[in-house]
Amino acid sequence: MIPLTYYLILSTIVFTIGLYGIMTQRNGVRLLMSVELMLNAANINLVAFSSYNDDMSGQVFVLFSIALAAAEAVIGFAILLSIYRMRDMIDVDNINLLRW
Amino acid sequence: MTNYMLLAPELVLTLVALAIMLAGLFFGTKHKNILGYVAGMGLFAALSLTIGGLAVNETLFYGTITIDALSQFFKIVFISVSLLVTIASIKYTEGNKNTDEFFTLLLFSTIGMMVVASANDLIVLFVGFELASLSTYALAGFEKKNPKSMEAALKYFIIGSLSSALMLFGISFVYGMTGTTSIPGIAENAGALAASPIGLIAVVMLIAGFGFKMALVPFHMWAPDTYQGAPTVISALLAAGSKKMGFVAAFRIFMVALAVLSPNWQTAFAILAVITMTLGNVVAISQTSVKRMLAYSSVAQAGYIAIAFAVMTPMALAGGILYTLSHAFMKTGAFLVVAVVGYMVVSDNKNAKDIDHLDNFKGLAKRMPLTAFAMMVFVFALSGIPPTAGYVSKFILFSSTIESGLVWLAVIAILNSALSLYYYARIVKYMYFLPAIGGKVSEPRPYAVAIILALAGVLIIGIWPEPFVYWAMEAAKVLMV
Repeated sequence: MIPLTYYLILSTIVFTIGLYGIMTQRNGVRLLMSVELMLNAANINLVAFSSYNDDMSGQVFVLFSIALAAAEAVIGFAILLSIYRMRDMIDVDNINLLRW
Repeated sequence: MTNYMLLAPELVLTLVALAIMLAGLFFGTKHKNILGYVAGMGLFAALSLTIGGLAVNETLFYGTITIDALSQFFKIVFISVSLLVTIASIKYTEGNKNTDEFFTLLLFSTIGMMVVASANDLIVLFVGFELASLSTYALAGFEKKNPKSMEAALKYFIIGSLSSALMLFGISFVYGMTGTTSIPGIAENAGALAASPIGLIAVVMLIAGFGFKMALVPFHMWAPDTYQGAPTVISALLAAGSKKMGFVAAFRIFMVALAVLSPNWQTAFAILAVITMTLGNVVAISQTSVKRMLAYSSVAQAGYIAIAFAVMTPMALAGGILYTLSHAFMKTGAFLVVAVVGYMVVSDNKNAKDIDHLDNFKGLAKRMPLTAFAMMVFVFALSGIPPTAGYVSKFILFSSTIESGLVWLAVIAILNSALSLYYYARIVKYMYFLPAIGGKVSEPRPYAVAIILALAGVLIIGIWPEPFVYWAMEAAKVLMV
């Protein structure tokens, strides 16, 4: 059996890649992909813990979280699409009407 | 046997939301105005049902939903805010062909917040959180031809989804170390979490996740942009409703589930509270857009409420909880006034730019006496002047902070309140002492009704605080087990 630590290391790596992406990427779609990576890192954790704790609720949680991540992506793409229609680009660096 | 009557407010709202969504298919744009009244009636029914079940203390669905004093208190906060926003939106959505979507999303976001208030299990809490967040992302971008609104929605969406990812990651560690997702269950097994470094990681992730929703500095950068760009009625919902959802979730998770780890998070919240109120107030001073100024003031108010986490005595918790109710009325009212002024400016001049600029408040007392008076009460309440709701809640919160020995925290908070008076008084000066440009305007009736209701809320809590304080203490007892 693969030790639990390996799963945690994997999920931490995936989470860090996602966090790095959120902070460095400027393209709206890439930002969405980074968020998905972070959510999936949490899902890996939940499933791994669920199997090691011998408790099903973690896997139930993952089913809910996958569905919510899909809904979140839909809203995100809808927002990006209307921005694209207005400006012909989705580079978040150029979206800066509101600032102090 | 589950007693579904206890969930009646949520069920009523769900049915009304679905009915509005369906009815929108068959109604022409002209007749969609009636949908706002339907939503308002649904919310009113839900409010009455919630008040009717005030004394209930039960858990449902194998202990995943709890109906107690705390959940009922916050449900009433959420429903009141939504009700005020709905009444005002009847005017805002007039003649818009997407009116049905607007009210459906508004009701769904309210249901999400109510589920969070009742959640006794992390799965339920997360699902409710996401339901409210997803609906408000779409509402912030409701004006899809307006670049500012879309920008607000995009920023809110990116930061919001980042915060839910952080929160889920934190939750996954909590679940892993305690082996359960039920909040009382976690409280029983939290010893394992406190003993391992993973507990610290989980606390950091959860503070960051909820901090984004509560707009605590340094997680606040989205809030001013979103509140300024979103339609003003939605800014009211976000500042007064959605932010409180972060607080009730954080109350349940930190105070009940992770109470054993309080040495880890108590100081963190004290520091966050201090920098949040200071930065919010200092930056608000230099704003020329009233909407953005209110956004920063709302950041500062979140700092005051966060004191409750640092002090953690029953009285401080009651103060924090009462503050969320007062803040809900004050902030909704203030944002609705900005919405009315925006309406007035647009009806003066169709192509007006910067409709939320402070200059538009010049001589408001002559142009719209009622609105100007209400705004004066709201801003004085926000800065904590008696006899308003803001004074009562600040008094309880700050005096309990002093009692528990954190004098420095109370001093900083009081200095901040004094500082905030500067920019609040500036609005009053603009409204009452500067000459008016343009003649008298009568407020559209829905806006006027909503503003008067908010005004009544602020004054009633201020003049007759005993029942509300008692009620907030009942709610705080739930957290002190």
